Amino acid sequence: MGKMLRRLSRLVLLTVAVALALAIGPRVAQAHPHVWITATSELLYAADGSVTGVRHAWTFDDMFSTYALQGMESKTRGVYTHEELAPLAQTNVESLKEFGYFTFAKADGKKQKFKEPVDYFLEFKDGLLTLHFTLPLKTPVKSKELALEVFDPTFFVDFKFADKEPVRLLGAPATCQISFHRPNDGSARAQTLGEQNFMNGENSNFGAMFANKIAVACP
Amino acid sequence: MRWASRQKASPDLARALTICVLAMVAIWAVDGATHVMLAQSPFGGPRPGAEPQAALQVGGIVGWLLAKQSEFYREISSAIRAAKTDGHAVWTLLAISFVYGIFHAAGPGHGKAVISSYLVANQETARRGIVLSFASALLQSLVAVVVVAIGAWLLNTTAKTMCGAEKTIEIASYALIAAFGARLVWTNGASFIRALQAEPSASPLALARAATHDHSGHHHGHGHDHHGHAHSHVDHDHVHDEHCGHSHGPLPGELAGPGGWRRGFGTIFAVGLRPCSGAILVLVFALAQGLFWAGIAATFVMGLGTAITVAAIAVMAVSAKDLARRLSGAREGGGALFMRGVEFAAAGLVLLFGVGLLFGYLAAERVTCF
Repeated sequence: MGKMLRRLSRLVLLTVAVALALAIGPRVAQAHPHVWITATSELLYAADGSVTGVRHAWTFDDMFSTYALQGMESKTRGVYTHEELAPLAQTNVESLKEFGYFTFAKADGKKQKFKEPVDYFLEFKDGLLTLHFTLPLKTPVKSKELALEVFDPTFFVDFKFADKEPVRLLGAPATCQISFHRPNDGSARAQTLGEQNFMNGENSNFGAMFANKIAVACP
Repeated sequence: MRWASRQKASPDLARALTICVLAMVAIWAVDGATHVMLAQSPFGGPRPGAEPQAALQVGGIVGWLLAKQSEFYREISSAIRAAKTDGHAVWTLLAISFVYGIFHAAGPGHGKAVISSYLVANQETARRGIVLSFASALLQSLVAVVVVAIGAWLLNTTAKTMCGAEKTIEIASYALIAAFGARLVWTNGASFIRALQAEPSASPLALARAATHDHSGHHHGHGHDHHGHAHSHVDHDHVHDEHCGHSHGPLPGELAGPGGWRRGFGTIFAVGLRPCSGAILVLVFALAQGLFWAGIAATFVMGLGTAITVAAIAVMAVSAKDLARRLSGAREGGGALFMRGVEFAAAGLVLLFGVGLLFGYLAAERVTCF
């Protein structure tokens, strides 16, 4: 009798523990997107065939666009010039630094670092804000395999690449081949859950589920 | 006499030590958790290749919840737009907001975790759990409305300024949770240590050992899991009644009094102070569309949905604990010790949440200022 009670109480304790663990959960699973971005990206190449950086154009959803414009002054109601939006663009790129610009690059398996963004500005069109900015690589790199991922590991921001021409190569050697994987086409999930990835931990974080993967092969 | 003097000196010291140890364990556990579970630390960069388990979860219930939330949330903006021209669309907006609230709270988040832990730690009833859940959700909605009403409508400040205010409120809320948790750990630590001392052997094994003792002749057999059990071991140095009740967990009678409610409202204040980023976005958007009132209505309905889910989880936590109490309460000291242990652990969790949230290890819903 006592033994059974002990077992039962242990079971209950376990249940409580599991319930609480579920309540906390991994932080990453707690977030759900509040911001939606439709993105296009361009990979910039130098004359010698090395990658020099990435140029992004991110269009925010209407709710976030409206939110971001709150309190911004404009001469004409509902029309915002690049100059009027300059302070907001400044805030945008400065805040994005904390999140690594949601852009993660690897050249032949080696992580690449980015410098501060340049040529950034905001555009307001049809009620939506588009943030344009260029991320120069710290050191331009020549690589056979270039991998670029655009995503928010905490999934506060949902990145969706544009249906038309999501990724372009600017000035890349003619032999370079581009391949692009969206997060929801199943390949990203399969890859994440694959045993190989599970074992080596590659791309196995939660946010990577939502990663847009760009790969450029230049043989 | 010898024991009397020791009784005076040791509990405070032991409690202080316990809190130190617990804080260390909390920080260590949270830090460990960051490495294991979290993909990104707010101070470091993203850490690709961090967490296989989280990725696995996404496919299941959590993934489904996330997908549903996103769907409903995205429909809110179009519903507000539609409401500009079509009065009926307001009802659609409210319906979507309500369901969004339910789903939003069903995903893991700190609010219900803190409330549930508090209920378990503080021997609260399910009924009070429901009241606290609704009150904190109401406060959360109210804070969101006040922030946007003052920030955007009255002062027409920028999103950056409002977001800054949001962050300040967030830090205050987390600090309050941590302080609250520390207090719970302090009081429950005393009860736990007392229960340990009442055991024949105050070792970590006491729980297991006590469980094997059969004191069926003595058992009180009721739902009250208070210090009365400590008297069962008459042949050992024991704790007298006068030591109990000073920094002890409150009696059910005390809880029902104004002090108990005050403590309860302390929790909802700490938890509900922090507005939901989603609500703020919806409110600002509604304001820009000239439908601020619809945004306010949507925010409160969202809060109602959230409250229902949080209340359900809180009731589950309290029921689980009641069951544990009933199962372990059939026996002497061991049962009391077991319950003190559970309460102590729950108090530790509240502290852990507060500390974790404060230092950014557990961002329930990060306030992102772009």
